[in-house]
Amino acid sequence: TVRPKNEVEQKQLCAFGEYVAEILPKYIQQVQVTCFNELELLIHPDGIIPVLTFLRDHTNAQFKSLADLTAVDVPSRQFRFEIVYNLLSLRFNSRIRVKTYTDELTPVDSAVSVHKAANWYEREVWDMYGVFFANHPDLRRILTDYGFEGHPFRKDFPLSGYVEV
Amino acid sequence: QRLRILYTKILGVLQKIPKDAAYRKYTEQIVNQRFNLVQTETDVQKLQDKLNSGHIEEVIVQAENELSLARKMIQWKPWEPLVEEPPSDQWRWPI
Repeated sequence: TVRPKNEVEQKQLCAFGEYVAEILPKYIQQVQVTCFNELELLIHPDGIIPVLTFLRDHTNAQFKSLADLTAVDVPSRQFRFEIVYNLLSLRFNSRIRVKTYTDELTPVDSAVSVHKAANWYEREVWDMYGVFFANHPDLRRILTDYGFEGHPFRKDFPLSGYVEV
Repeated sequence: QRLRILYTKILGVLQKIPKDAAYRKYTEQIVNQRFNLVQTETDVQKLQDKLNSGHIEEVIVQAENELSLARKMIQWKPWEPLVEEPPSDQWRWPI
């Protein structure tokens, strides 16, 4: 069985994506709508804080809730990591995804000033991938052992690690 | 009441943004709509129903957010063309 296609919602999401892209052309590079009705905004890394504050404060787009903050490692690209923010709107009951890219040694602006929830998520991304967040209060290891060297979720880290336990 | 002061402040801040920005157009539309509704309705309950976006306190909070957003937009200027193009295989999926 295949999920039935909801054309109306897809058109609404397309229209909203074009609206946002028209308002913020400085940072948004591409807007996509997936086949299961999900909106994605692809952003230059300098524009994280403006875009996130816009999505949080604007009347037409009240995405007050940061649901998820993750990173994706694609080692064959020049900018290795993609950072993904999932936002949820409580007033309009809709979700949106915001994606940025960075390579290994470039710091990214922290989303903590926009959403307080980003604190531990950014610590996790730092610990697991090694993406440094500037202006983050208290960036340290979470989830790995105390003397752990290396960043586990990268694709070049072997499954059983470098040190024997 | 407070909503009127907030909306006049927002409109004042919006005047500082250059005229052809899409952000300015759309926010002016929204703010003017809400402003007109606030001025015509004196009854709080009916105003809530007409605006159709939650309680009046929430509308006040939303207007304050909009004001701070407009001030930050003056600094960030998001209506200019793209800062930098991505490398050509950046967003290709599957790789």
